[in-house]
Amino acid sequence: MTAGMTFSDSDKRGGGNIHWVRAGLRVLFGVVFVTASIDKIANPAAFAEVIFNYQILPDAWVNLAAIGLPWLELVIGLAVIAGIWLPGALLWGNLLLAAFIGVLVFNISRGLNIDCGCFHAAAGDADPAEMWWTVIRDAALLSVGLYLSWTASAAEN
Amino acid sequence: MARQLIGLWFMSALLALAANSLRPDGIAWVGDWSPEARIGGNSGGSRVISLEESAERFETGDAIFVDARSAAEYEAGHIQGAISFPWQDFDAVFESVFPLLPEDRPLIVYCDGEACSLSKDLVQALAELGFSNARVLVNGWSVWRAHGLPIEGGGGE
Repeated sequence: MTAGMTFSDSDKRGGGNIHWVRAGLRVLFGVVFVTASIDKIANPAAFAEVIFNYQILPDAWVNLAAIGLPWLELVIGLAVIAGIWLPGALLWGNLLLAAFIGVLVFNISRGLNIDCGCFHAAAGDADPAEMWWTVIRDAALLSVGLYLSWTASAAEN
Repeated sequence: MARQLIGLWFMSALLALAANSLRPDGIAWVGDWSPEARIGGNSGGSRVISLEESAERFETGDAIFVDARSAAEYEAGHIQGAISFPWQDFDAVFESVFPLLPEDRPLIVYCDGEACSLSKDLVQALAELGFSNARVLVNGWSVWRAHGLPIEGGGGE
C-alpha cells in the first residue's frame, strides 16, 4: 500500500505541519538572501572594498564579483521564496554559503581582520570572535539549505 | 539541475550587467586596487611612501612614525620610536596623541597587511586636520620587519 507512495504523499498522511515548517524555512532562507543582496546592490563600491579586504580574489576580479554576486544572491533568494527552479536555487545558495564559511575560516586562521583588511597579531582581540559568530550563523543557514535541498530532491523523486 | 544552475546564473549576470551599465554610480568592471589608487591624495598626488624613503627618513630622524594598529599590537612590537595612534580608537586617544604630532615634519603612518585600511583612514583624517605631510607606508609593519629595520617592543614576531 505504501510502496508507490511519494514522499510528499506521506507528508500529507503524517500531517500538514511539516509542510508548513518547510515552507517557512524556505521563505526564511530566501528572505535572508534577498535582504543580504539589497545593500550590496545599492552600494557596489563599498561592497567591492569589502571583497578587497577579504584578500582572497585577484585584484582584477574584485569589481566583477562586487557587481555580479549581489544580483546572484537576489535571484537565488527570489527563486527560493517563489519555489521556482528550487533544486538549482538551493544548490547555488548552499554553494555560496559554503564558500563564505570557507573564506571566513581561512581569514580567521591567518589572522586577517576583514573589517579593515589588516592582520592582527595581538592575542585577545575581539575581532575573531565576531567572525566566528558569522561563521556559526552562516553554518546554521547552510544546514537549513541542505535540509531544504534534501527535501526538494526527495519530493522530485 | 545544470540547466537551472546556468539559467539562474545567466539571469543574474544579465541583471548585473544592465544595472551597472545604466546606473550613474556604476563601478568600473575592473578596478585599480593598487595602493597608490586606494590611498591617493585630494590634490591628485599619492599619499604612499616607499620603504626606501621611509628608511632614509628614519636614519635622518626627520620623520615621525605613527602606528595605526591597536594598542595591543603596538605593545607587541612596533617600528622604533613610533607613536601609537590606533585608528579604531581615534576619538578616545586623539587628545593625548595630537600634541605629539608636529605639523612641520613628515608623518609616516603604517599598519599591517597589503589591504590594511587603518593607516589610509588615519592619514586621510590627519590630512583633514592640516597634516599635509602624512603618508602611508603600505603593509608597513611586515615590510619593515622583513627588511630587518629597527623595531622595539615585546615579541615583534
